[in-house]
Amino acid sequence: MLVFAASDKGGTGRSVTSANLAYQRALAGDDVCYVDFDFGSPTAAAVFDVPGELGIDEGGLHTYLEAGTGEPARVDIWAHTLHPVLRNRPNGSGRLVLLPGDASGGEFATDQDTLRRCVDLLLRLNSEFDVIIVDLSAGRSYAMDMVLEATAQPELRSVEARWLVFHRWTRQHVLAASGLVFGEHGILNGAAAGLHDKDTLRQSIRFVRAAVPDPESALWSQVSPAQSVWMQRCDDYLRQLASDRKIGDSVVLGTVPLEPVLQWREQLITEEDVLSTQIANKETLEALEELARKLTDDAHWGQP
Amino acid sequence: MTDAVFRETAAEPLTRSLPLSHLSLELGHLYMEDFEGGPERLRRHFESVKPWAEAARADATARAGGKRPRISTCFLIDDYFTRFSTPAEVVPVLLAEAERAGLVIDYLARESGCAVADKVPLAESVAGRLVESPPPGSYGLRPPVGQTGWLANGVRTPALRAQAMRRSGAWQPPQETAAHRHSVFLDVELWDDKDGHRTWSCPFLAAVWQLTRLGLLRNEGEPVFVARAHSSGGFPSEWDQLAPLLQLNATAAPFNAYRTCSVLPSRFLPVEHAVRIILDQTEVDAGALRQVAERSDREGVAVPDSVADRASYVFYPGW
Amino acid sequence: MGTLGRTRPTTLACGEVRTCLLPTSQALDLRAAGHVLRLRADERVLASERPNLYALSPDTLMGVDCALPASNGAKVRAVGTVVARAALTEGRVLQAGSFFRVPDTGPDQRQPWGHYLVRPGVVEPLGKLPAQAVAEGLLKGGRPGELDPGLIAEGLLTRLLRHPLLDQKSPFKSRRTRLRWVALPVPDGHGPSIDFTVAEDDLRTVRLGIPEGTDQTAVVRLCEDLALHDWLLTTLVRMLDGSRFGSADGPMAVLALRPAVDHLMHLWMPRARVDRKLSALWEALEERPGFSRQWHTLVQRIRDQMALQAIPLLREALTAR
Repeated sequence: MLVFAASDKGGTGRSVTSANLAYQRALAGDDVCYVDFDFGSPTAAAVFDVPGELGIDEGGLHTYLEAGTGEPARVDIWAHTLHPVLRNRPNGSGRLVLLPGDASGGEFATDQDTLRRCVDLLLRLNSEFDVIIVDLSAGRSYAMDMVLEATAQPELRSVEARWLVFHRWTRQHVLAASGLVFGEHGILNGAAAGLHDKDTLRQSIRFVRAAVPDPESALWSQVSPAQSVWMQRCDDYLRQLASDRKIGDSVVLGTVPLEPVLQWREQLITEEDVLSTQIANKETLEALEELARKLTDDAHWGQP
Repeated sequence: MTDAVFRETAAEPLTRSLPLSHLSLELGHLYMEDFEGGPERLRRHFESVKPWAEAARADATARAGGKRPRISTCFLIDDYFTRFSTPAEVVPVLLAEAERAGLVIDYLARESGCAVADKVPLAESVAGRLVESPPPGSYGLRPPVGQTGWLANGVRTPALRAQAMRRSGAWQPPQETAAHRHSVFLDVELWDDKDGHRTWSCPFLAAVWQLTRLGLLRNEGEPVFVARAHSSGGFPSEWDQLAPLLQLNATAAPFNAYRTCSVLPSRFLPVEHAVRIILDQTEVDAGALRQVAERSDREGVAVPDSVADRASYVFYPGW
Repeated sequence: MGTLGRTRPTTLACGEVRTCLLPTSQALDLRAAGHVLRLRADERVLASERPNLYALSPDTLMGVDCALPASNGAKVRAVGTVVARAALTEGRVLQAGSFFRVPDTGPDQRQPWGHYLVRPGVVEPLGKLPAQAVAEGLLKGGRPGELDPGLIAEGLLTRLLRHPLLDQKSPFKSRRTRLRWVALPVPDGHGPSIDFTVAEDDLRTVRLGIPEGTDQTAVVRLCEDLALHDWLLTTLVRMLDGSRFGSADGPMAVLALRPAVDHLMHLWMPRARVDRKLSALWEALEERPGFSRQWHTLVQRIRDQMALQAIPLLREALTAR
């Protein structure tokens, strides 16, 4: 299964949340591959705590797509992470592999040859992994155009593809996320999308609300009654806005609470972080676990 | 140990051998404009060809080591790019003008037969046998597919593809791989695709023509572009009813030969340069190649290893 | 044979085989296999039905002009053609391989390309070949820019995997394996020898000692056969490793192994197409580490588990009577 992680704006926690999803799926026993198509800033290695925080020196995804190597480099995360908890690969877990970008890489225009290579890569990964999470640059990027076109190719048509659109819980972000999907140049209306069946594509898109402050949370238990009422009203307003913009609850796969560990450190959240060191909130881990469950559960996909 | 033998015929390759002449001598290509020029134009052509044809025969005799060489002549008519007139009208005039110049055309071929002959897609087969000459530094990475349908004799000018925030380099010249100090770079269009239909280029079909004359193509081990004898009657009124390769002279030496020589007006020079580039990068049928080598060895005839070197040309002045 | 394409005696042969599951829901029949493997319009796909379904593509060539990897750092430029071909076993397991041989010396300068094209599968060194160092270098894998037969095999495999006849719906996820091999001649009077190493996760290296005069295609077939069976074994081991076999959720685990029963278990047939002269090498591997022994043990385990899981069903059926 291919999972494309998209967002209209930066700072949505798209990369860190999708990396956590990859980790959670691997814990659940799936063989998982995380593909860093955030070409402008290939920093996935940092989230997984593997060497090469800014991409690898040579032979990464940039080099591969530009025909500089036959196969892009792979990093076995369990084997190479510096994260003390991750280094002990749990029994029964699946593979967790990162395909990093090149350290010196940037955004680049794609052509027929890069498209061909992208298709070949996704086919190859699909034969090997249960879940392939592809992290795309923010906004309408070359990366997004390329994967939209790639998934429309005959070879990939029968391969299950799901889209996760990440956005924060603010007015701008709700509008932007809706625009990314439904806007004039959005995923559903874009040139490459002309190759897809619009309904099928629409049914494969779900939204993830990230960094959402929960007014009920203990975090806000100290606020004044006035603040509390205001927060509740904002929340209601955003719900209404989201619903009006066709990104209401029925197409939301999950919500990740506002979490300092995700915001400040952009890292994987382990049970250790919640239970022993208690730097992360239990709710956050549970939200990620639930999101990871729903990601591969057909009951949450299809007709919204 | 008992020696049991078990065979499945479908599991074993086989190449059928062909009779071979020393030289296949081509007396010309006929295009529509040549025919439209009337019999006089054909007459001038054959008159120009005559002395060079004799020179080619003399050369073949010298190479045969004193023995009388087997030489067959052939002539190619373009019915692929433009269809004109009818065989019934064209062929008798052609033969008459050749005869007037004292030349005998043993085999008559149609150019569209080089694309598909007797339902065998010859051009497609040859396209599948192209093995590009690797520029230094080729270590096995599959080349980008951008230039499908083109074949060069070297490295093209690199495309300038920019990555954000990265300066794209200055223009670099193309380079001929086998250059002697300076390059003569040539990029050959092999075909074009329009509306789902593929049209093979003139040089590509001419390369197929050379390979068939050299007897180096097979289809699943079987000979291709096989000559059919001409019955004494006339010629058909449709080109498609004419055999791709017709044997006009019953006593002719075999069509296929160790070497070829083509006598053409000098306007064919660029096309034949392209043909050479194609021949130089075509892997011919291995079984056929071996058979030719074995036969020529037995006969004591030297045949160059390189397929491109087996073709020779005379370009006479003219258009 | 005539003088054509005559080269110096081979001192080194080398290749790489990549093996993977064909990405289709159903195994392909020989006819469909023929379509997928038809790399050339004018050459047949060789098809064989005994002792198992097997289809072999025509050979294709790729030109190379680069340095050969050498363990002692020697700079050896070589020019020639590498053969790439593919095989499909029982319509299920796809293999793409590349191979070439190298004579002990070659011309000092690059020759016109036609010289190399009439020597398919020969890569000639410019000058003398330090055979041992290059054999080591090839097994270890070169630096970027040095001859990489794996890339050529990969290129062919990638091309085949996009064939429209493949529905891309594999019955289970599996990994590819790479088997890299070199063959060097053994002194007169010595028999063939083999050294099989599980190098990394997906990489196997095989070093062969081959008596002079052994047909090269026989060596290639042996390596393809080794690669096929090593892949089967590796894949089955991984399936059992990944499953929660023998644990409480036994029935689920057994269910998860069903693809192995459906698609893999009948494929074990070592030496099916190996030249008799080389089959001693297989015997050696059967002795140690014992390929077939491990395979049969795994297969027996799966069958036992399936039988065990069937007992409750049987009991249910009996008590219901």
